[in-house]
Amino acid sequence: MNTDHATIDHAEDIKHFVFEGKQKTTLLAFIVLGILCMVGTFFIDSNRFWTNYLHNAVFFLGMSFVATFVLSAFMLAYAGWHVVMKRVWEAFMLFLPVGLIMMLLVIVGLWMHGHHLYHWSMDGIADPTSPNYDKILAGKVPFLNKYWYTFGTLIIVGIWTFFAYRLRSLSLREDEEGTTDYALHQQMKKVAAIFLPIGAFTSAALVWQWVMSIDGHWYSTLYAWYATASWFVAMLALTILILIYLKSKGYYKAVTAEHLHDLGKYMFAFSVFWTYLWFSQFMLIWYGNNGEETVYYNLRRHEYTILYFGNLVLNFVLPFLILMRNDTKRKYGTLGFTAVIVFFGHWWDYFYLIKPGARLNALHAHHGAGHGHEDAAHGAGEAAHGAAGHAAEHGADLAHAAGHAVQEGTEFAMGFTIPGFLEIGTFLGFLAFFLYFVFNRMEKAALMPKNDPYLAESLHHHV
Amino acid sequence: MSAIVSPVRKPLITGNKTYHQITEDLISPTEKTPNALWVITFLMSISLLGFGLFCIAWTIWNGIGTWNLNRTIGWGWDITNFVWWIGIGHAGTLISAILLLFRQKWRTGVNRAAEAMTIFAVICAALFPGIHVGRAWVVFYFFPYPNTRGPLWVNFNSPLLWDLFAISTYFTVSLLFWYLGLVPDFATVRDRATGFRKSIYSFLAFGWTGKAKHWQRWESLSLVLAGLATPLVLSVHTIVSFDFATSVIPGWHTTIFPPYFVAGAIFSGFAMVLTLMIITRKVLSLEDYITIEHVESMNKVILVTGTMVGVAYLTELFIAWYSGYIYEQFAFFNRALGSYWWSYFGMMFCNVLSPQFFWSRKIRRSITWTFFLSIVVNIGMWFERFVIIATTLARDYLPSSWSYYTPTWVEIGIYLGTIGLFFTLYLGFTRVAPVVAVAEIKSILKTGGDQYVGENAKHHHHVKHDVNEHAAGTSIDIDENPDTKIK
Repeated sequence: MNTDHATIDHAEDIKHFVFEGKQKTTLLAFIVLGILCMVGTFFIDSNRFWTNYLHNAVFFLGMSFVATFVLSAFMLAYAGWHVVMKRVWEAFMLFLPVGLIMMLLVIVGLWMHGHHLYHWSMDGIADPTSPNYDKILAGKVPFLNKYWYTFGTLIIVGIWTFFAYRLRSLSLREDEEGTTDYALHQQMKKVAAIFLPIGAFTSAALVWQWVMSIDGHWYSTLYAWYATASWFVAMLALTILILIYLKSKGYYKAVTAEHLHDLGKYMFAFSVFWTYLWFSQFMLIWYGNNGEETVYYNLRRHEYTILYFGNLVLNFVLPFLILMRNDTKRKYGTLGFTAVIVFFGHWWDYFYLIKPGARLNALHAHHGAGHGHEDAAHGAGEAAHGAAGHAAEHGADLAHAAGHAVQEGTEFAMGFTIPGFLEIGTFLGFLAFFLYFVFNRMEKAALMPKNDPYLAESLHHHV
Repeated sequence: MSAIVSPVRKPLITGNKTYHQITEDLISPTEKTPNALWVITFLMSISLLGFGLFCIAWTIWNGIGTWNLNRTIGWGWDITNFVWWIGIGHAGTLISAILLLFRQKWRTGVNRAAEAMTIFAVICAALFPGIHVGRAWVVFYFFPYPNTRGPLWVNFNSPLLWDLFAISTYFTVSLLFWYLGLVPDFATVRDRATGFRKSIYSFLAFGWTGKAKHWQRWESLSLVLAGLATPLVLSVHTIVSFDFATSVIPGWHTTIFPPYFVAGAIFSGFAMVLTLMIITRKVLSLEDYITIEHVESMNKVILVTGTMVGVAYLTELFIAWYSGYIYEQFAFFNRALGSYWWSYFGMMFCNVLSPQFFWSRKIRRSITWTFFLSIVVNIGMWFERFVIIATTLARDYLPSSWSYYTPTWVEIGIYLGTIGLFFTLYLGFTRVAPVVAVAEIKSILKTGGDQYVGENAKHHHHVKHDVNEHAAGTSIDIDENPDTKIK
């Protein structure tokens, strides 16, 4: 690109983003739709509401975390190309405290016994005399308890928020006070460097608590990496969509096909990376054929077939085939279309992670004393599919379960077997809320950063 | 390519080099008689190699009983060494492929040597499956080909077979990649050579004349190979991890193994690249091409991957507790506090704690520290494989068969022999090919040379635009500055 053009584009982009009334109205309408859907869902089936709520809260909070993490990593890796659009990711990361507030509702529900998302939250789970006693979950009580869930979430997301806001304020100060010794940039790098290891360790702990502990007996060491990769691809897809939209509105002229091409490459590469993690986890569990582990996939592959294969089609097959070619990453239409698929796909991925297990948890809670062992239905699923594995350890439960729980909790149910209209409505509501917040924050600062040492490189980016 | 370079980027080529000087500096080592230091190191390496060959012959002649493996611990130093070498072999392709895709310009200083190292490390690794089977004369059973032995061989369900495919594919692509990069450089060597030497390099350079069409195809093929090699870097160590993780042995059967093995491989590979490059840059006076900036970047990679490995270690420990599965819990208790506790603590110290020194900028930029820590990391990654293999096997489900294992002189000798093989090949390589990729270094001169970038730049911000605003086909005298001209 010619230097002079870039300078002109830059000047145009310095004008602030204006969050227009019409956009606000549209987004508010979707927020209202989302709220109506959630209220409706709550009265139809409160468990469906709670699983939807947790699903979306974790999904959007996670994208916000990943934006903070990636921005920090790029800064440390001397990346220059992304600087023109770094304000989008900054706006994403500012959503962290809002996500935390959303999680508070889950926490309140946990304390008030308002939901049955987590079987470990049942009273008497660790009490051998209680009918709710569960030997395996009893062993996990030091980690899976409402205190740690609450304070872990508050403290960890609180720490993330601190780093995100620190990075943002330094970035804004750089616009105003940035000098050619780039002292503020150096300061940001320090903040980013401290955040990276903290983010890496703590995000795993929260993923285990928020999502993996739904399938309370089951565990996988790879899980946190898988869930984070999913967030990352979703975050990239949403970034692409927002950039294309803003370009269509006349903003971000300096963001060219070159930048979108690179984002497209990232989306392609990390879709494959996500698949790599999916496959690694699946293959090792399938090959090991240990009943305690295969129960997770048996349930999903046989009772949630659409979810299970849909996940792979949306998040691997389609992006892989479409984005393989060079030109598809440079055409806004094709790239945007793929981004929509992938964004929805990773939302679907979290749906797939959360719903089957949470559905069984609620079912067992309703069965009440004497019936409600998670083992029972899991074991029954296992027995039904003939996997022997290590299930002998829970032999008593198996025998107990064989009688009545074979089909229960796995038959077709809208909102669990596949996402229904209420789920889509809820999703759109959350998305509109997220976008409302992001646009609001983008309005508060120049779209194009000033005085960033890599700005010139980014403006002249050419792949 | 854009020549706009951020003012915070440091030069990657120092010493105000011209294109001609680059050729001189990088090609001339292949044209001179080796110095005494090289000869001594080479003799030492080849002696080690000789001893290793003797130990291999001893093993094959007397049988695998000359090793201290027993019924409980069926894998010992052999597989430990195999995984260790394969891991080291990862950095080369990572640098040449993934860093090429990420357009990291500092890769040009180290990619050639790292790729060579990859190939030599894979050769060292490939030795072990061949000899650890005990009956080396039936090693061809590894390969799937029409045979009369029935369905017993080859077993496509076995990750060991996938390993064979993965490693041979990886080796092939790495070799092609390395050779592809060498072609233009061999042509440069050829153009300077005379006599018999010239005809050898003429053959090796495949008639390269540097035509635009040659370069165009060369660049396309580089990208294609980079695209192929990137998933391969992940796949090789992933499949090595499957050798363990597909089993149901507590401590081995864990889903984090694939990405964590890959991170560990990159970690150990970079450590070995550093060990080698710190010696090479000193011996061949390449400080202007492998600068402190290169060393610092690699140290950062070591810090990142070391911490990733740390995350994986702690995840394993935590999930072992969380699983509620007593055998899994015992496996990890035994690792940390059992009879091999010393290897677990060696691993933790070398792999997780020692890289943390690189938080300090001063240590990251210190050659002495880097050299020392790179060796510590190499030791640590050897420990990691030993911990996974020997510690886990030593305490199996049946306490009456619990055992302890120490290697015999034969096993140690074979390991030393592979180190000898590695250095013999590497030292030979430094004599016949440019250790730093000449053509690739030249390609970044205007965006990485210290006369263009950084504090000592001659035409700050200005000449860069000039150079690039010239239309294709016109020429420009980049040495118009008298300072550069006289050199």
